[in-house]
Amino acid sequence: MTSSVDSNSHGNLDEQISQLMQCKPLSEQEVRVLCDKAKEILMDESNVQPVKSPVTICGDIHGQFHDLAELFRIGGKCPDTNYLFMGDYVDRGYYSVETVTLLVALKVRYPQRITILRGNHESRQITQVYGFYDECLRKYGSANVWKIFTDLFDYFPLTALVESEIFCLHGGLSPSIETLDNIRNFDRVQEVPHEGPMCDLLWSDPDDRCGWGISPRGAGYTFGQDISEQFNHTNSLKLIARAHQLVMEGYNWGHEQKVVTIFSAPNYCYRCGNMASILEVDDCQGHTFIQFEPAPRRGEPDVTRRTPDYFL
Amino acid sequence: MSTVEAPLYPIAVLIDELKNDDIQLRLNSIRRLSTIARALGEERTRSELIPFLSENNDDDDEVLLAMAEELGVFIPYVGGLEHAHVLLTPLETLCTVEETCVRDKAVESLCKIGSQMRENDLIEWLTPLVKRLAAGEWFTARVSACGLFHIAYPSAPETLKTELRSIYGQLCQDDMPMVRRSAASNLWKFAGTVESAHLKADIMQMFEDLTQDDQDTVRLLAVEGCAALGKLLEPQDCAARILPVIVIFSQRPEGYGGANAIEFPETDLLPAYVRLLRDNEAEVRIAAAGKVTKFCQILSPELAIQHILPCVKELSLDSSQHVRAALASVMMGMAPVLGKDATIEQLLPIFLSLLKDEFPDVRLNIISKLDQVNQVIGIDLLSQSLLPAIVELAEDRHWRVRLAIIEYIPLLANQLGVGFFDDKLGGLCMQWLQDKVYSIRDAAANNLKRLAEEFGPDWAMQHIIPQVCPIILTIDLLHPKSKNLCSLGVLSAQVLEIANDSHYLHRMTLLRAISLLGPVMGSEITCSKLLPVVVNASNDRVPNIKFNVAKVLQSLISVVDQSVVEKTIRPCLVELSEDPDVDVRYFAVQGLQSIDQVTMSS
Repeated sequence: MTSSVDSNSHGNLDEQISQLMQCKPLSEQEVRVLCDKAKEILMDESNVQPVKSPVTICGDIHGQFHDLAELFRIGGKCPDTNYLFMGDYVDRGYYSVETVTLLVALKVRYPQRITILRGNHESRQITQVYGFYDECLRKYGSANVWKIFTDLFDYFPLTALVESEIFCLHGGLSPSIETLDNIRNFDRVQEVPHEGPMCDLLWSDPDDRCGWGISPRGAGYTFGQDISEQFNHTNSLKLIARAHQLVMEGYNWGHEQKVVTIFSAPNYCYRCGNMASILEVDDCQGHTFIQFEPAPRRGEPDVTRRTPDYFL
Repeated sequence: MSTVEAPLYPIAVLIDELKNDDIQLRLNSIRRLSTIARALGEERTRSELIPFLSENNDDDDEVLLAMAEELGVFIPYVGGLEHAHVLLTPLETLCTVEETCVRDKAVESLCKIGSQMRENDLIEWLTPLVKRLAAGEWFTARVSACGLFHIAYPSAPETLKTELRSIYGQLCQDDMPMVRRSAASNLWKFAGTVESAHLKADIMQMFEDLTQDDQDTVRLLAVEGCAALGKLLEPQDCAARILPVIVIFSQRPEGYGGANAIEFPETDLLPAYVRLLRDNEAEVRIAAAGKVTKFCQILSPELAIQHILPCVKELSLDSSQHVRAALASVMMGMAPVLGKDATIEQLLPIFLSLLKDEFPDVRLNIISKLDQVNQVIGIDLLSQSLLPAIVELAEDRHWRVRLAIIEYIPLLANQLGVGFFDDKLGGLCMQWLQDKVYSIRDAAANNLKRLAEEFGPDWAMQHIIPQVCPIILTIDLLHPKSKNLCSLGVLSAQVLEIANDSHYLHRMTLLRAISLLGPVMGSEITCSKLLPVVVNASNDRVPNIKFNVAKVLQSLISVVDQSVVEKTIRPCLVELSEDPDVDVRYFAVQGLQSIDQVTMSS
């Protein structure tokens, strides 16, 4: 603990972070070194990583780098503001590489100030279909960087617990999980499986219908208010905060405020016309949602905000 | 590639590969055309390869594009300039395909070849080709034809020249807008080769027709060539016929040099501009609205008031938000032209309505140009009519609008003076420190510094420091360690309210403000008022506040005396350097290292 305050040890990393802040990717070799360090840090984190308040909780980013920059303009810079990201950093947007590299670099530089959870897109299979693989190939000329990152994703914690009250994860609950200890006990270092508790945490969605339901996504389940209430009661939780679903206002309460969905990619896929939001949990555990719109972009065409539903 | 060396083999390979299913192989063989031609020799290239290529034009666009490009540099392989014309046949076909890239490349290659061909060959081969394309049944041929006139025209005999001009005129009025667009964008090239007498008559007629085309894209393309066209004309002609269009549209007024200084008949120009301000197409109105100030600057105030102002009023209610935004970004510049009375009576109301526009960009554009109005209408009237709007915008839903207002505050403070500022805007400046959005809080902290610079330390001592410092102190009252501070007591209701809304990011903003104010306020006030607050904040329960205390302390080292550094700053940093949090320790150690560096260098 004591040696890590050497003032020069972070010089290189600080430079890399400011380079990434300008949306300029690192070299393959730099990514490799960075991810090695990140692996050391992440492997010591729990499947249910404890997080202290105050902290700002964020949902999906999906490679929309300029909107992540906007998020920092709204929420404050890391490390001054503490952050908890609930997964889905890559795919869909044009800057998955820059986005995930920046977040991993911040994690390595300020492990106590930022928590990065795993989303269903932090997986080998999904990234080959939705863009991250192709982007790595395009920007680096080989799949090496994709391999390095997807290997690192295996170490990302699955869930976080803010002050023992707010349970944060990407997707939702699982019929095979009753207590937080159930989650703490399994080995997470693997590709996201097609089924089972680990898969459910990253894939499930809350639903208006009671009980468990089959998810239209083909992975995970839908869970009703009764399930959320039981889970929160069993584990003395106040709230489940999750991401994973596009919500037009950027956040959406469900299950009589037992569950909240937070989505932080404004105008998702550059055409959904949705707001984004982040949730600030302050020192006294007060909650404030802050909504934001896409960052103004120079040079990119001004796409009509509202797209007819049948295109989505 | 050894197979290519064998004299008879290559054409077989080429034909074979050209028919291959793999597009990559076909592309490769096209890219090796010159090698193959060399192997075949000039004569067989003319008699076998070129005819073969002319027939094989039903391939993938990518292959055709490569072919069009290769043929442009093929003159040496067919036996030099005297045989250059054989290349025209395959390129002519490529000029008619559906894919635009291929056609453009074919035209480019034809121009390349044509510009080297001998005069007689041009008349014999190229001019008929241009005429054939221009009369083509399918529009693609006619689109390509437009880009070739400037090559064919110069060498043509007089009768043929007349014919070419008349054909170009027909292309300018073609039924297909794509053809007219091509005619419009190539007009300036053609015009450069036409004799000046015909230029004024024929070409200018075409130009004027194109600038009044039904299609806005045609009009815009015609206008883009303005600068080049203007240079070809005599100054008087330029002023009369090009300038009106340029003033309205040109993105680069420098393109037409000194033409601005020339007297021109306002009567011709004005109706044309007014017509554009009222054009049916929003794109045209956007371009026209964006030039309204520039245009007014070359008019007399009377004409501007009589003709332009009514249009501006209409545009401020335009259904397109982009038109309103374009207008908002320039209309403040009209104020000096119109003069005080007209500005107050007519411009100001438009302006106030745009300040309340539902589209944030419109509001932003207005705010960023407010200073131009101050100069004309004077500060009293500005404060009466605009301040209510500014106060409203200070709470605008869009943070970038709020940001624009904050950035305007120091200027406003400078123009309003201390007295007025205290009443109206002081509260707002404090309110922004607690904005939900980080960038606003950060700008608000910066704003306090700029105000302190503007009005001086005495004013800041009275109006800023008492508001900033107690906020942190009050919040600290919540902390058990600082109960003894309760005796400090007298706190305004507003400040208490903020304290109850305790939020670490708000406290951080105040620390930021203190670090910015320190150098402005000077050593004495920093030591007596600011430093105690910072040191006290080092007991905060949130690590983020603590490491920002370390950063602020580091920034104050250069402001206060060495003795204060040793007595107050160092002990505080030493304590922080033993904090359980790694980041607090890191920034505390950074601060201590700075102290050591300062000590060593002194």
